[in-house]
Amino acid sequence: MSYLELSGLQKRYRDSVAVDDVSLSVEQGEAVALLGPSGCGKTTTLRMLAGLVDPDRGAIRLDGTEITRLPAHRRNMGYVFQSYALFPHLSVARNVGFGLEERGVNKAEIARQVTEALALVRLAGLDGRRPRELSGGQQQRVALARALVIRPAVLLLDESLSNLDAKLRDTMRHEIRSIQRSLGITTLFVTHDQVEALTMCDRIAVMNRGRIAQIGSPEDIYERPATRFVAEFVGRANALPAARDAEGRAVLWGQALPVKAPASGEFDLFVRPQRMRIVPVSEPVADGMARVTGRVLRSVFVGDHVEVLLEGAGGQLTIETQSGTAALPEGAEVAVIWQARDTLPFARPSARETP
Amino acid sequence: MTGTARLKLLVLPAALFVLAVYAWPTLGLFRNAFNETGPTGAMIEAWSLKTAQEVFSDGFTFELTLNSLWLSLSATLIALTLSYPVALFLFRTTSRFRGLLAVIAIMPMLISGVVRVFGWLAILGDRGLVNTLAQSLGLISTPVKLVFNWTGVTIGLAESIMPYMILALLAGFGQLDRTLEEASRSLGASPARTFWRVTLPLSLPALALAAGLGFVLSMSAYITPKLLGGGRVFVLATEIFEQATTNTNWPVASVLAIYTLVLLLLLLVASNIAARGLQR
Amino acid sequence: MPTRRLVIQAGLASIAAPAIVRAQGLSGSITLMSYSGIFQDNYTKTVIEPFQQAFPGIKVNFAPGGTSAQMVGSVRAQKADPQIDVAIMDVTTSSIGNSEGLFEKLTPAEFPVLNELLPEARAAGGEYGPAVTFDHLVLVYDTQNLKPPLTTLADLWRPDLKGQLAISAPPNIQGLALTAMVEKMTGGDYRKSIDGAIKKLRELAPSVNTFEPNPDGYSLILNGVVKVATGWNARSQLYADQTGGKIGALLPPEGSVFQINTINLTAGSKNRAAAAAFVNYALSQAAQKAFTERMFYAPTNAQAAIDPKAIARTAAAPESRARMIGLDWNDVLKVRDQWNNRWRREVIAAAR
Repeated sequence: MSYLELSGLQKRYRDSVAVDDVSLSVEQGEAVALLGPSGCGKTTTLRMLAGLVDPDRGAIRLDGTEITRLPAHRRNMGYVFQSYALFPHLSVARNVGFGLEERGVNKAEIARQVTEALALVRLAGLDGRRPRELSGGQQQRVALARALVIRPAVLLLDESLSNLDAKLRDTMRHEIRSIQRSLGITTLFVTHDQVEALTMCDRIAVMNRGRIAQIGSPEDIYERPATRFVAEFVGRANALPAARDAEGRAVLWGQALPVKAPASGEFDLFVRPQRMRIVPVSEPVADGMARVTGRVLRSVFVGDHVEVLLEGAGGQLTIETQSGTAALPEGAEVAVIWQARDTLPFARPSARETP
Repeated sequence: MTGTARLKLLVLPAALFVLAVYAWPTLGLFRNAFNETGPTGAMIEAWSLKTAQEVFSDGFTFELTLNSLWLSLSATLIALTLSYPVALFLFRTTSRFRGLLAVIAIMPMLISGVVRVFGWLAILGDRGLVNTLAQSLGLISTPVKLVFNWTGVTIGLAESIMPYMILALLAGFGQLDRTLEEASRSLGASPARTFWRVTLPLSLPALALAAGLGFVLSMSAYITPKLLGGGRVFVLATEIFEQATTNTNWPVASVLAIYTLVLLLLLLVASNIAARGLQR
Repeated sequence: MPTRRLVIQAGLASIAAPAIVRAQGLSGSITLMSYSGIFQDNYTKTVIEPFQQAFPGIKVNFAPGGTSAQMVGSVRAQKADPQIDVAIMDVTTSSIGNSEGLFEKLTPAEFPVLNELLPEARAAGGEYGPAVTFDHLVLVYDTQNLKPPLTTLADLWRPDLKGQLAISAPPNIQGLALTAMVEKMTGGDYRKSIDGAIKKLRELAPSVNTFEPNPDGYSLILNGVVKVATGWNARSQLYADQTGGKIGALLPPEGSVFQINTINLTAGSKNRAAAAAFVNYALSQAAQKAFTERMFYAPTNAQAAIDPKAIARTAAAPESRARMIGLDWNDVLKVRDQWNNRWRREVIAAAR
């Protein structure tokens, strides 16, 4: 049995289902991200874990003990809120020491541990400040220190980086990951930011409409999305409407590809733009490669890469090429090639169904 | 015409209205305070401080002040204790009946003070609800005096200021955030500890605001002390009323009214300073 | 010829009824301020309506004025631009208005009816508006639930009345009147001292349910809150009739005190002639008779021929008159604050 087990969790509200049958196992010391669009139930799942929301059905077990109905204050979960939720009437030191005071730790020990925790998040010396005297990034660190200092069974982070600017978010991402690793603390992140999920976690659970769509390592999720939703939500992908030939191969823009088509139904081929390469039309096709031809519609320099929009017989697709390669003139006739195994066919949802 | 000038013009009717119905009578009040009263009660036009001297050398004025302060303090504390949970509930509830519940909470405001007082008589009188119930349960043998004394006035006054205090509390709950209470619980504080360490401290500005308002309303209330006091409760407001409408002694009433006004202004300033201090 | 006939008719009419011609010459509207409620209702029916019939050109508006003190306050506030032409109020407040010049002096030359009034009615207003009604303080009691019934002022101290009393304390004039009555009961004289009354009232204080009956003592008795209250005779008589005798009114054998309402002509009245006509009418025999028979205020016009049954229920009855204490309200006004303070500190304080 894993360190933390969620099984069959469900939470309904008056007219909607927030979480519908979520099961998840987390090992000790592991960092798992709950990734999904807003309203997918990830925050509700986290709140059920913390005891802030009562599940309607299902169970939560921590280290072999069922805690499903245990009140929040007896769960020992370190929760970092999206808004940080620092106590405005208390100093930084008292904010961080709050949980220790509740645990009856003596004053000297609290002072020692608070200093240590503030040093860990690189906020030494700000003990006496009030939260509103701190920057957003500093508040985030105080919130983290406050949650860590109680040595929680699980650290829960709810969209904790979303209120920071891009650069700070990048820094904090790495800091949190390194602290998490060095303390070996079991962590659950809730995020809608795939970069956050991919860079900070050992595993990712992609959630959609109250359910887990796929659980796996960042590589699994990115390279082998199990569903069309995961493929669309994580990373960028060209969704290319395709047909099927008599031999069961996928046909794109009139060209048969060495890719097996699904047995029945309409389908699209998913290919990541950075897996595609542009080559001269004259270049021969190697084994195991897929190839279509088209005309360059637009070529945009984005800094670390160039985005090329290509128009072919059956539609358009986007390719990301390394910058530094020679710019392609608009209207140039080119071929696009990629590894056939980088092609993922997914059935096209019917018009009534939305992904 | 600039925008601000036009804006000022818009305020003009309201300013004139305030001037007519508030400033002018208040000026009259100040004028009367300098008049004197003849031996049989006739008002003598004058510019003297004789009336003020008489009022402030009378020990009864001091007694009235203490009575007013004490009554206002006890009514405010009772009302605050009762209003706080109600306001807290209204602030937090996500019930679809929240609007309706809020209206019910402040409904007493819409009922005439006199009518409410007679309601209290029916409840607290010798043969009222409370005494009848307690007697039939065998708790008491003779009725307990709950009206026509300080007890009745305190109860009635506390009830009459509650709706205003609930509104003031709701307005003052700015810092109160459910997430902070959740943070506290996640850090190991029980609901009771969370209330004590987070909810209550963050409610202090609202409580100060509501207490200030309740106190001022209590100080100026006269219907309740008059109708529920049974002639035994003497406070500044009832004395002003009595001097003006029974004794026809406008100079004394005016001096007392100005004195009360000054007391209230001082209290408001003090409560504002306190509220600002708590918000820090 | 129609024209000649009209002239003759008009001429005959003016010879036959000069008073009516004068009446027809007056017009416009006047405002009378006085007590609201049953006073207003009954005064309108018995005095104002007949007056308007006699003077069809005049419209009398009744302005309910609250307490007497509030009425004199209204007149005082409108001194520069009077809106009230005639005011009927308690003598203690009209005397304030008189000394402030709010009301006019009335002369027998202009108001011949003054000569028909009782001497004490004239004396009540001095040279100003005279008494228009007499009333007196009574003890009002619950005839159904009070056994044995109240017979004397001293009965107030009966132990079975503990918690059953509604006593209007000063500065209400009922309280002032009661003070004088109790002083007399204890063998003293209010003009010299009220020590005896205060001592006696102090003993009464713990029995008192309320010192400020609201809305009034009669209602508290009818609602069963108390069994005995201080009250005024006229209203008590009316309520006694209206409630089928549930309320009783006792003029204590120890004595009682007159309450006097005066009628006052506002100085600077905008329709003085019509207002004067009304004052004249209100004091006339017809008006006094009609109002006394309706509401049991004793008349101030000595010549009014009133139904003896009605008279018997007022202080004008000979045996009642004998019991009245000669109280000069002007004297009492001078000591009102003193009495008031003694009540608060010595009487009411004892009841807490």
